[in-house]
Amino acid sequence: MNRRSALKLALSAPLLASRRAWGQAKTITLWYPAGDITAGAAHFTDKSFFAPFEAKAGVKVEAVGLDYDTMQQKIFAAAAAKNVGDVLFVDGSWVPGFLKEEMLDAVPDARAKAWLDAVSPEIRTLSDYGKGKMWGYPQYGIDIYGLTWNKDHFKEAGLDPEKPPRTWDEFRDYAKKLTKRDAQGNITRVGYAIRHVGHPHGVVHKHFWALYGAGASLVDDPLALRGGKVNFNNDGGRAALKLVLDMLDVDKSTSLNFPDPRAALLKGLASMQISETVSIHERAPKEAPGLKWGLATPPVRKAGDKPVTLLGSWLYTVPKMAKNREAAWQLLEWINTPEQDFEMCKKYAATPRYKVNWDKEPFKSNAYDQALKQIYPYGKPLPVNLGLNGVMDAMGGAIQKTWHHEAKLEDALVEAERAANKAIADAAK
Amino acid sequence: MVHSTRRLIARLHARRVWHAYLFVAPIVLLFGAFRVVPSLQTLLYSVYRVELLRGRFTFIGFENFRELLADPTFHRAAWNTLVYVLVIVPVSAALGLLFAVVFDTRFPLRELFKALYFAPMVTSTVAAAVVWWWLYNPQFGLFNVLLRLVGLPIQPWLMSSRTALLSIILFSIWKGLGYNMVIYLAGLQAIPESFIEAARIDGAGAFQRFRRITFPLLAPTTAFLLIYNSIQAFQVFDQVFVLTSGGPAGSTNVVVLDLYRQAFERYNFGYAAAEATVLFVLILGVTVLQYVYSKRFEVSY
Repeated sequence: MNRRSALKLALSAPLLASRRAWGQAKTITLWYPAGDITAGAAHFTDKSFFAPFEAKAGVKVEAVGLDYDTMQQKIFAAAAAKNVGDVLFVDGSWVPGFLKEEMLDAVPDARAKAWLDAVSPEIRTLSDYGKGKMWGYPQYGIDIYGLTWNKDHFKEAGLDPEKPPRTWDEFRDYAKKLTKRDAQGNITRVGYAIRHVGHPHGVVHKHFWALYGAGASLVDDPLALRGGKVNFNNDGGRAALKLVLDMLDVDKSTSLNFPDPRAALLKGLASMQISETVSIHERAPKEAPGLKWGLATPPVRKAGDKPVTLLGSWLYTVPKMAKNREAAWQLLEWINTPEQDFEMCKKYAATPRYKVNWDKEPFKSNAYDQALKQIYPYGKPLPVNLGLNGVMDAMGGAIQKTWHHEAKLEDALVEAERAANKAIADAAK
Repeated sequence: MVHSTRRLIARLHARRVWHAYLFVAPIVLLFGAFRVVPSLQTLLYSVYRVELLRGRFTFIGFENFRELLADPTFHRAAWNTLVYVLVIVPVSAALGLLFAVVFDTRFPLRELFKALYFAPMVTSTVAAAVVWWWLYNPQFGLFNVLLRLVGLPIQPWLMSSRTALLSIILFSIWKGLGYNMVIYLAGLQAIPESFIEAARIDGAGAFQRFRRITFPLLAPTTAFLLIYNSIQAFQVFDQVFVLTSGGPAGSTNVVVLDLYRQAFERYNFGYAAAEATVLFVLILGVTVLQYVYSKRFEVSY
C-alpha cells in the first residue's frame, strides 16, 4: 500500500465507522448495583429481560453494573460531567440527595396519578413524594424489613418455632434463651444479631423498627422536602437505643463481634435478626439450604402497640441530564405496565406492585408472598427530607457511639440531634 | 563573521529550547489539566457554597472554614488522622530500616524473602484490605485463631472502637513495610564500604558502626521516607473505606474519608474543599518542617 492510499484509508475510516453506527439502533444505558445487593437488580443480567422492549421500540438497552458502595458518588460525578446513565436504578434513600441537586426528572403528573391509583398501598407509599409527586417507579419485590429466625434454634431452646417474640420483653427473653457460649464463656451464637459497623446508614436501617416502634422518628414531617427538625432525642429514641444496649450489657444476648446480621443468621451464628426479608429469601437456598426460617413483623415496645418496620425500595429514575430521556421514559413506561409487572414477578418469583396482580396466581397462593403481604401494612419509608444523608449519618453515629460505649446514650442523642438539625438546615438553604 | 556565527548559535539554541518545550508540553498540559487546575479549583471552592449540578456558586468567604473548626466530626477525623500519621510514619521507617539491615547481609533465600516482603506494596490496597477484613473476623479470622492457640483472649479488631484504628494501622504498616525496606536497602548499599572498613580498623563495634557511620549517612533516605510516609499517611483513605467505613462510631474516620462523604454523599462541595485545603496546608507544613529539620542531620565524611 502506498502512502497516498494509506492516507485515504485513514481519512475515510472515521466516516465508515460513523455510517456503521448510524445504521444501528439507538442504545440507552441503565445503571444498576452489581452483585447481590438487591434481588431486583440481578435480573438485569438476564439477556431476555429487555428483549421484548428492544424488539418493540427499536432501542437497545445496555445494563451497566456499578459497585454499590460507590454507586451514589459515581452517579453524581457522572451527572456533573453530563455523561450519566439514561435510566438509574437507585436506592430509595439516595433520592433526597439527588433531589437536593435537582438531578431527577419528575414522572409526568397524569402518569403518576394513574400509577398511584393502580398500585397496592405500600407501593403508593413508596412512590408518592408528597401531593402525588413521583420521581421514579419503585421496583417489584420491594424491600421490607422483618424479623427472621432460625426455627431449629427455637426448638433447641424449648421455644415454639412458629411463635416469634411479639413484645420487646419477650424478644429479650427469647434472645437470652437462644444465646450459646463456649466453655470460656465466649458467645458462640447470639440470640439477636445487630448491625453496628460499616456505613452509618446501614446501621440506621437495621434499627429503624425499634426507633419508630418506640414512637421516635428521623424527622418530624416525613414528607417535607425542606426544613423541619429531627425527632429522635426523646423517650422513644432513648428506649430504642437502650433496648439493644441492655441486650449487650445486661442480658449478653447479642455481641459486637457479629458484624453482619444476615450472614450470621444464614451461618447459624445468630438465632434472630431484623433486616431485608427479600435478602434472606434469595440467599438462604444458596447459602443455607437446610435453614428453616420464619418471617414476621418486628416486636413491639409493649403489647397492643402497632409494629413498625422499614419499607425500602429501589427506584427506576431518569436523570435530567440523560442523553436519551425520551427513550429512557419509554423503557420505564414499558417495565411498569401491569402486564410487565405480572410477567416479571412471575418469572423472577417477586411480589407484584399492581393491586390487580395480587389477585392472580402464583402470588395469591404463595406462602412467602402472602407472609410479606401481612407485613407490608406496617412498613414506613424513610423520610424524603433533602438533609436525609446528614440525618442518617448523625443517627448512625449515635447508635454506634452508644453501643460501643463511646458516649452515654443521652449525650450521643444530643450530639446527633444537633448535627442532624444542622444537616436539615444546610440542605434547605 | 563572528557576528553571523553568534546569530547561528543563538538560532540553534532557540530551536533547541523550542524543541525542549515541545517535548515537555504534553506532560505539562496533562499535569496542568488534571492536577493544577483541580487543585486551584478546590482552593477556590473552599470559599463558596457550591451546587455543582445546578451550576450555582455563592461566595461565603471563610464560612466553610468557620464551620469546619466548630464541627466535632471534623475534629475527630483530624485527631484520628494525626494519630495515624504519628504512629505510621516512625514505625514504618524504623521497621523498614530493621528489615533493610537484615536483608543487607547474605543468607539463603534472601531474594525470595525480599520479594515476599515487597509483595504487599504492589498489591492493590482494596484487594489486600478485603483479605485483611477476613483475617480480622472475630469468629473465623486467622488472628483470633492464633490468639486462641496461644491461650490469649480474642480481640474484636475492626468491630470495636477501641481496636479499630490500631487494626487499620497494623494493616498499613504491613502494606508499606516492603517499600520502606527497599528504599533503606538502596541507601545502605550506596554507603561506601571503605567507611565501614575504616571504622572497623579503628576498633568500632557493630552497633557503634551503625550509630556513627551507617545511620547518619542514611539521613537523606530517612528524610525522604519520613516526608513520603507523612504525605501518604495524611491521605489515608482506601483501607479505612474498605475495612471500617470510618466506624465504629467514627473511631476510624479520617479527614479524606470525611471530605469524600461531605462531597459525594451530602453534596457539600464547598465544605469538602475547605477540608481539602486544611489538609493541604497541614501536609505542606509538615513536609517543609521535616525537610528543613532533616537537613541538620545530614553528614558527609
